[in-house]
Amino acid sequence: MAVKSKKVKEHSKAAILIAYTVMLLICAISLFPFVWTLLSSLKADPTLEPGFTLPKEICLDGYVTVLTKLGIFKYFFNSFFCAFISVIISMTHISMSSYVIARMRFPGRGVIVALLMSTMFVPGVALTFPVYRLITSLGLYNSRWGLILIYSCSSIAMSFFVIRNYFASIPRELEEAARIDGCGYLQTFLRIMLPIATPGISIAAVLAFLGYWNEYYWASLVIIDRKLLTVPSLLAQFETSFTTNYNGMLSAIIVILLPPVLLFCFCSKFFVKAMSGGAVKG
Amino acid sequence: MKSKTKRRLFIILFLFPTLFAFAIFYLYPIITVFVTSFCKWDYQNVTKPELYSFSELLSNYKYIFQTYPYFETALVNSLKWSACGALIGTSVAVLAALILSWNLPGTKVVRNVYILPSIISSAAMGLIFLQLYNPRYGMIAQMVRSINPNFKDSILLVQPANFWALTFSYIFFQGTTCIMLLGQIASVPSEIYDAAKIDGATSWKRELYITLPSIKGMIKTVVILGASSGFLIYNEIYFLTKGAAGTTSLTYILRELAIMSPRSQYARANVIGVILILGGLGIIGIINLLFSINFKTKRLKREEE
Repeated sequence: MAVKSKKVKEHSKAAILIAYTVMLLICAISLFPFVWTLLSSLKADPTLEPGFTLPKEICLDGYVTVLTKLGIFKYFFNSFFCAFISVIISMTHISMSSYVIARMRFPGRGVIVALLMSTMFVPGVALTFPVYRLITSLGLYNSRWGLILIYSCSSIAMSFFVIRNYFASIPRELEEAARIDGCGYLQTFLRIMLPIATPGISIAAVLAFLGYWNEYYWASLVIIDRKLLTVPSLLAQFETSFTTNYNGMLSAIIVILLPPVLLFCFCSKFFVKAMSGGAVKG
Repeated sequence: MKSKTKRRLFIILFLFPTLFAFAIFYLYPIITVFVTSFCKWDYQNVTKPELYSFSELLSNYKYIFQTYPYFETALVNSLKWSACGALIGTSVAVLAALILSWNLPGTKVVRNVYILPSIISSAAMGLIFLQLYNPRYGMIAQMVRSINPNFKDSILLVQPANFWALTFSYIFFQGTTCIMLLGQIASVPSEIYDAAKIDGATSWKRELYITLPSIKGMIKTVVILGASSGFLIYNEIYFLTKGAAGTTSLTYILRELAIMSPRSQYARANVIGVILILGGLGIIGIINLLFSINFKTKRLKREEE
């Protein structure tokens, strides 16, 4: 299918002017919160120098405090640990089920697809108390593993959708050739299909990782021990930790935003491709 | 072992982990939410929910609908945020996607800048906006004061401004949705645009009569996602207002009842859970219906012509 390409010359001057105005607005709205936070974090007392102004004198005290006293890397590790292990677990089981559903015909297949896809429309928040109770009765309350269990079992639909579509797009001949060569079902999956589907699984994994890294609702519900908090839950404690130290709080916000922003800067192509279903070049 | 048995075993073993995950995170909790919403279950019988007698079966529902003081506000707000997500959020995302699909110089930069707020935790965005609305030094509070110098309060405590302050803290950040739409626009065949160009259609007409109908399916998905996430809003409320001054939502009161309430009103919290599940399904149903009505009307018109 030919891909649409709309060049500059195809649009009137008025249309281009409107387009650039909208693009400028998009940039302003998207960057304004971050730039203001960055500028204010460099002011010794942001309350004395309010507004969208450059600091009279650059003050890095907040950053020094955050990096030395807050122990921020501990929280980054907690977030990374929970997100990484959850991605490994969820990608493993979802790849297995997606493969079977995409490549094999069996009774009840349609029902299973409907059940898994329905999870997209069941709000996890509505299930708060039963899940909370389950985690408590399993002895996983206030433990990273409780959070990992929730993450690995939730948001099945999105990853399932992406990976199943990728498996479905692989030519059937490859599988048949492997079978003729004597590969069993497991070998065909592990040696032939899984390596081919790696790009699709990676896309689902990146989206899932980002979702788990940013997740706040369950993280704040399951973990109460300050040492085990993930980054988003730590943010909720900032109001009390930095009641009057605005410089410290704003510096901490900037430090916390850095990992996902840097990750995005280096992998923007990959993100755009993942989010657009592979249709938009990064 | 026979090949057929091997195949069956392989299918069962490969499906088991995901179905197990589905059972423990979705199936068991959904059944629990529905069943216990008809039970007496609070701090008096924490470990043993008891099903109400037939005449009292709807006691929890009656309490939530008739007595619980925050329910009406929460329901109205959740529905309003759902409508905002469907209308404002989708409109912003569609407009941005249409303009970015023109591929004007600078588009890539704008597109990447637009995704930035979407990849950041809504908790972090909530905290940033809390500072922006801070009456002492927040930039937005200052902007409001430049229009109305007598305004000294916190925007987040004044109704109805606080509803919109909360809404504006997330509604414009539609980077992810915009990219999903862009992916769909990229797959519209270029021949259709060429034909429209020969017929003298302007940029906007091409977008209106070719692009929008071609990506209607994706727009419907985006409307559903926007409406659902608006209906389930929690983080922004927690970080900005903690539900104060009439800004509570269904999700917020659910957590209040289940976890924070000293009376541990589990069953009543599960009533809210039932409302969220059924409400979410209702919203999806209504959106599907609206899109199909629109489609049928157009088809009838075409047939008449």
